[in-house]
Amino acid sequence: MSARYLGQRLLQAIVTIAAIVLLNFLLFRLMPGSPERILLRNPNLSQQVVEATRARWGLDKPLIPDQLVSYIGSTLEGDLGYSFKFRGQPVTSVIADRVGPTLLLVGLGELISAIVGIAIGAYAGWRRGGLVDRVGSGVSLVLYSMPYFVIGMPLIVIFAAGLGWFPTSGMTSVGGGDRPFPDNIIDLARHLALPLATVSLGLIGQYSILMRSSIIETRSEDYITTARAKGLRDGRVLRAHAFPNAMLPMVTLIAINLGYVIGGAITAEIVFSWPGLGTLTVTALQARDYPVLQGIFLLVAVSVVVANLAADIIYGMLDPRVRR
Amino acid sequence: MSAARASGSRWRLRAAQLRAFAVRYAGRADGMIGLVVLVFFGILALAPELFVGPLETATRASAHAFDAPSAQHLFGADDLGRDILNRTVHGARISMTIGLMATVITLVFGVVLGLVAGYSGGMVDNLLMRVADFFLVLPTFVLALILAPVLIEVVGADAEVMGIRATLLVIIVVIGITSWAATARIIRSQTLSLKERMFVDRARVVGVGPGRIILRHILPNVMNLIVANAVLTFASAVLTETTLSFIGLGDPFQPSWGQILNGAQDSGAAGLGAWWVIAPPAVSVVLVILAFTLMGNALDDLLNPKSRVRR
Repeated sequence: MSARYLGQRLLQAIVTIAAIVLLNFLLFRLMPGSPERILLRNPNLSQQVVEATRARWGLDKPLIPDQLVSYIGSTLEGDLGYSFKFRGQPVTSVIADRVGPTLLLVGLGELISAIVGIAIGAYAGWRRGGLVDRVGSGVSLVLYSMPYFVIGMPLIVIFAAGLGWFPTSGMTSVGGGDRPFPDNIIDLARHLALPLATVSLGLIGQYSILMRSSIIETRSEDYITTARAKGLRDGRVLRAHAFPNAMLPMVTLIAINLGYVIGGAITAEIVFSWPGLGTLTVTALQARDYPVLQGIFLLVAVSVVVANLAADIIYGMLDPRVRR
Repeated sequence: MSAARASGSRWRLRAAQLRAFAVRYAGRADGMIGLVVLVFFGILALAPELFVGPLETATRASAHAFDAPSAQHLFGADDLGRDILNRTVHGARISMTIGLMATVITLVFGVVLGLVAGYSGGMVDNLLMRVADFFLVLPTFVLALILAPVLIEVVGADAEVMGIRATLLVIIVVIGITSWAATARIIRSQTLSLKERMFVDRARVVGVGPGRIILRHILPNVMNLIVANAVLTFASAVLTETTLSFIGLGDPFQPSWGQILNGAQDSGAAGLGAWWVIAPPAVSVVLVILAFTLMGNALDDLLNPKSRVRR
């Protein structure tokens, strides 16, 4: 991969992140009512106090460039302001508390769905028109049309409310996290089962559909005909020749999806009251906690851009045709 | 006289093309299944009162809280005793209307910007496509999440335009803002190849202006792509609307399917085992999205020159 290709991608990513920061800044200044009207709602405040506060927050200076410059400066320092709802807590610490559960849920979900989806898609595409293809493609298409909550709610009705196998919500039982070693893990696993199934089912369709068409496209390549002509067994042609090449677009999809791990499964988290970023987003939305919303948007947007950059670089390394 | 004959024959040609296309479409099983489902929900959406009477609200509820399905209430009732069948049928109108309007906005932005970028080329093209790339990379749904409350605060939640409440309008606009880029990209790439064709050169040589060339010579030739793209855009618009409403950005007074599911979530219907509150709106959403995806794929195969070559 040439340095020029790499440099171009890098520059593009930096410009995109800069645009995201700018958008974040402008969007929340579009709103009617200036920040001091929202925060200093007390009508008894004297004019002097309001003036002093405006000066302290830098609101007396022009929006551009002064306020923008100080906004960018503090964003770079990792200062995203303070939450409205969780009084006195900095946005970064409110968000940091919720990253772990989301990474656990969506990260595992991505892993399971990628493995299962790729396996189903590869087999369906290889035996095109066979039983696995017809059933698998139909199921994939239906799953692909289902938002997370449409998958999750029936799972609760059947496996939690109906059969009583799993708890309906949360990440631990009361005091469950404090029990001695194997018990607390078992407790967590029981709570994780249904949300994880929801996220995995929701993502499988995407992987299997793309893998199937990728395998079908690969099957008509000349090197597959060559491998067959050499007399290789069918299974070996699939594993050694078709599969690795068909994985190219999958690698990109997986890398891009990793960027969405952070903000990925908002509605799945809501359905199961999973204490991650998704439920935080909705709590912030209901409380109109704009600093937290801004922070989540920034985090998700930046991770998506970085994941895209990673996808481009990996693809450039794997596929010699891109090395311009 | 000859002009009239020319336009008459052009219409006959168009009609013949349309007939030929209808025959080919009818041969696609997936496309026809999608069409049947769409017609079913389309009829429900056109006149919900005809089938289930006026929308049941908290004060007009006809059953008791969480009544199970019975002969009187085929799909039971929700936490406020409102008939689920009634609300699901009314939800069809609201979900499909929002989906339709969001699709129109997406297409208008996407097609106009795609045509302009593709035809003018150079700086304009470069700039527009950079902006499109930006919107393609952005996590659409999270952007929609923060745009919606900001816009609602700007216009006020109780404003109304043509009988549609502001919260729903905001959802429509938000879907449009966050999804025009994909359409613009597709239209632009087709425009790029069309403008090098001989018939466009001829028009330019006889002195036809750029606006007229785009309208009369390029637009008709990208119509195929627009139709196929519109159907797929509709599917994703319904999906986004459902999700935004589920999260609580919908309007309780004009319930869409997502809004009904939001009510089910807030009342804990799933944990109580009240499947009848969840199943009708959830199945409706999945059927409509599936129907549009099937139709979109069929149309794309038939109309998109690129995917036809690959077959």
